[in-house]
Amino acid sequence: MTHAVFDALNPPPVADVHLDLESYDADADLMVLNLGPQHPSTHGVFRVKLVLDGEVIVKAVPYPGYLHRGVEKLLEKLTYAQQTPIVDKNDYLSPMINEQVLNMAFEAGLGIEVPRRARWLRTILAELQRLASHLVAIGTFVMDVGGSIGGGASMFMYTFRDRELILDLFEDLTGGRFHYNTHQVGGNRHDVPVGWDVSIRAACDQIERSLDEWDVMTVKNGVFRDRTIGVGVLSRDLALQLGASGPIMRASGIDLDLRRDAPYHLYDELDVQVATGTGGDCFTRYRLRAVECRESIRLIRILLEDVPEGPLCSLKPSKGPTAVKIKDGQWYVAVEGPRGEIGTYLIAGGNKGMSPYRLKIRPPSLHALATVPYLLPGHTLSDAVAILGSLDPIMGEVDR
Amino acid sequence: MTPELQAAVGQLLGREDVAAFGMVVPAELHFALAKLLKDNGYVFYVTVVASHWPAQPAAKGAPETAEHFEVATVLRNLPQLQDNRTGSQTFSWRVDLAAGQDIDSLVPLFAGADWQEREQYDLVGVRFAGHPDLRRLMMDEDWPGHPLRRDYAIETPHAPWR
Repeated sequence: MTHAVFDALNPPPVADVHLDLESYDADADLMVLNLGPQHPSTHGVFRVKLVLDGEVIVKAVPYPGYLHRGVEKLLEKLTYAQQTPIVDKNDYLSPMINEQVLNMAFEAGLGIEVPRRARWLRTILAELQRLASHLVAIGTFVMDVGGSIGGGASMFMYTFRDRELILDLFEDLTGGRFHYNTHQVGGNRHDVPVGWDVSIRAACDQIERSLDEWDVMTVKNGVFRDRTIGVGVLSRDLALQLGASGPIMRASGIDLDLRRDAPYHLYDELDVQVATGTGGDCFTRYRLRAVECRESIRLIRILLEDVPEGPLCSLKPSKGPTAVKIKDGQWYVAVEGPRGEIGTYLIAGGNKGMSPYRLKIRPPSLHALATVPYLLPGHTLSDAVAILGSLDPIMGEVDR
Repeated sequence: MTPELQAAVGQLLGREDVAAFGMVVPAELHFALAKLLKDNGYVFYVTVVASHWPAQPAAKGAPETAEHFEVATVLRNLPQLQDNRTGSQTFSWRVDLAAGQDIDSLVPLFAGADWQEREQYDLVGVRFAGHPDLRRLMMDEDWPGHPLRRDYAIETPHAPWR
């Protein structure tokens, strides 16, 4: 049996991802293979049904939903003050940003301002969280492409070592390492501990040094380049149509970053430099995350130069879980998370104004995974693992 | 939103007060509005949100309402980065649907609407006419009911789980 050689730089157009299996060539001797739900490269519980012609994928049908736990239903039951710790578990690599976008929607509903010191703290937490999240994305992606750098898990360990520095910073601030519950409606809960800026500077210096080392290990590594360049090319138009935001979109040449283009927190005072790529392949997506790490470090250093004084929360200390009441109305608030545009669509007015009537979280990972049926066909099975890793999906957020 | 786009949207909908958020649009103009916006720069598909509003008996000051659904769609445009720098804005509108009424699918315009509309169909039970593959996305294929409907109790038992 012979196969046409797949030209990764000129992938054939994917005509219709909804094509029935019967419409494929009956003589091709196709094989169906389930990747997942427990395969490690799916970063959680995600199943893709692959139809293979030899080693080449001709069709990919993803099945998300294995981690669906009804978060949006639960949020309709809880009062506004009780919701922050729940959304921590959605995108469990960037809980700070989940908390922020949720509370920003409630603040928009109440029409209240957040004090400057809290906005400063939120900005710095967002950048630290972006850094921590990108470190995991980089490490797991290099592990996914396996032995290309001589023992795939070594890079993974390096990134986790440095991410630990950021988790220590968060632990100093909030007491929690993953689930912080540090944001509340109107501001923040925990004030900056003594000497925190020194620890942040030390962590940034360490991570910056590491990023230089990792560039040598990966970007200048021939095997790594062969595994990633030209693999999983996402076109500009398809990225827009699918809503695949964040580094995935910017790797495909779309210059959009909500930190610069729809500023929130203190971003309107910072000159955020947005990096874009043109390749749209796994390599560009990886490279872009590394570049965004450096930009986050630069922004953190600028933020540390001028620490505003003042209160941390614009509301009086909460008198209990039912203190926040929002009148009927609808709001959409979005921020730039590590994986792209994470948003909250709030329809207020449930439970006598104490709970949302309906709250939809816009998960960037779900939109990133929607590219899978378009990206995988034409690639080999081993490339499928690299492509899934480069999308950096978080299943807790995809399925909610 | 540019004045030209505002005028075009107003002409399509036959109304003066065009707002970038929260307009209620007739179901038959839903697809035409999305196409108009896509042709005028709103090319980035953000999200779709369906919500369920059960029948309410007449209460003090409020008339009786029948069961209905709301579908909100959010699109985003790209920033203008050259001389006339602008940020990125969203455009969002709502469609009110009677119980059992379908809404046009946006999959022919935005491939990303595929999974989003499947999720809303799965969880809220709004049907999208013209969707190529309207299956459940999150729940089991044989799951009874739609969990995000307001009359679906959070304690609803389901075999084999309690």
